[in-house]
Amino acid sequence: MLSKFCARSTRSSLELYRRHMGDTHDSHEPGRCAAANHFGPRFAQCSLHPQVFDEERDALLMSGWSGLAVASAVPEPGDALPISFLGQPLLLLRDRAGAVRVFHNICRHRGMILVDAPRKIEGAIRCPYHSWCYSTEGRLVSTPHVGGPGQNTAEGIDKSDLGLVPVRSHVWMDVVWINLSGDAPAFEDAHADLRARWAEFDKPLYHGGADSRFQLTVNCNWKLAVENYCESYHLPWVHPDLNTYSRLEDHYHIEAPGQYSGQGTQVYRQIEGDTGQAFPDFENLTKKWDTAAEYITAYPNVLLGVHRDHVFAIVLVPEAPGRTVENIHLYYARPDTAPALRARTTALWKYVFKEDIFVVEGMQRGRHATGFDGGRFSPAMDGPTHLFHAWVADRMAAHRSQAHAAE
Amino acid sequence: MNDLEARLLAAHAQGDSAAMVTLYQEAAALALSRPERAFFLTQAHVFALEIAHPDTASLRQALVEMGCESPL
Repeated sequence: MLSKFCARSTRSSLELYRRHMGDTHDSHEPGRCAAANHFGPRFAQCSLHPQVFDEERDALLMSGWSGLAVASAVPEPGDALPISFLGQPLLLLRDRAGAVRVFHNICRHRGMILVDAPRKIEGAIRCPYHSWCYSTEGRLVSTPHVGGPGQNTAEGIDKSDLGLVPVRSHVWMDVVWINLSGDAPAFEDAHADLRARWAEFDKPLYHGGADSRFQLTVNCNWKLAVENYCESYHLPWVHPDLNTYSRLEDHYHIEAPGQYSGQGTQVYRQIEGDTGQAFPDFENLTKKWDTAAEYITAYPNVLLGVHRDHVFAIVLVPEAPGRTVENIHLYYARPDTAPALRARTTALWKYVFKEDIFVVEGMQRGRHATGFDGGRFSPAMDGPTHLFHAWVADRMAAHRSQAHAAE
Repeated sequence: MNDLEARLLAAHAQGDSAAMVTLYQEAAALALSRPERAFFLTQAHVFALEIAHPDTASLRQALVEMGCESPL
């Protein structure tokens, strides 16, 4: 898959990318195709530069469907959660009717931050500055004294035009996906293949609650966390415990160019309590899932894992070129799972994900080396990671082409 | 500062929206002019909106009838 993909796709994206990066390094020599990082040393050092971080924010994270948070973070109508994402103040909200909505967290009057801490909106969202009020659906419902003291209407202030600014959002696998640019294809179309692949898990997922969420802050570029998650090559070395029952040869690549990539295992062993009890399975799964598990990155920043009895979602929040926050959530097939078993599962995954920290942080430090030429991909083992690189390069090249055309 | 003003300031300081709905309505009832009444009713209405107070609809209706607010 990788070598075929190399020949077909990365050459054109490489050319575009190198042209726009002004990169004269020839990393595309004959015979190195399958193994080289075609994007060269400048691509490798993209993890370091604030300017590139900002450009990738626009090209990779704002233009498509990025994970923002999980819907379980606002479980009840009126729950409001302010979130800073890519430098944007956003408001995640569950409206009166129970729908999850995302807005820019600013008043339409003077751009004041509306909600500065998680809280319950009992009635309307009142701006703390001049008290313009919005419904939980985003409708502007009051503009007090806008026409003078005691006069709450004014010419030129049309409430119907001044609702909260919505952000396109979609909830799937409990992840709240957003499209900040507003012009991406509909989520259902953009991720049609992945939704079809995991249609068996498109059913109620029950968040395990406070014991089933945790956060890790890692000193690396967000893309390195994706790269590491995509491949199984590192498992025997970095996760020897996992490798004792799910060997490297039990794994397979998952490769959907331009959309997602990752890895699966044919050998998933259920987590059990002290007396051998396990979690209930999701209903109506096909036999494959008796022993299989899959781990996929939905580009750009959502890492998902599915098993017969639990699912997890990791939303990567890029905070700086060398700092990423990982928000991890675990889900089960029923709302009444055993707390001790949930705690054991959370502890297991926290242990595994912490094992990865030295790797992603080590790669980040390594990106400072002027001697690093972009590295070499294994033709056999690095395909899913290479696909992510290709997606990044294609998106960046397209973004820069658009910018040049606009100029 | 009269007693009502003191109670209003205390309600503001405590962020007690329910008390402000009550106190601003009390102030509106004591208002000496229509604009003053509209001002206090507006204050009461905003805090009522914020907490989904039972008086929200009647306060809005009063302001609408005074020509000071648009219907929802």
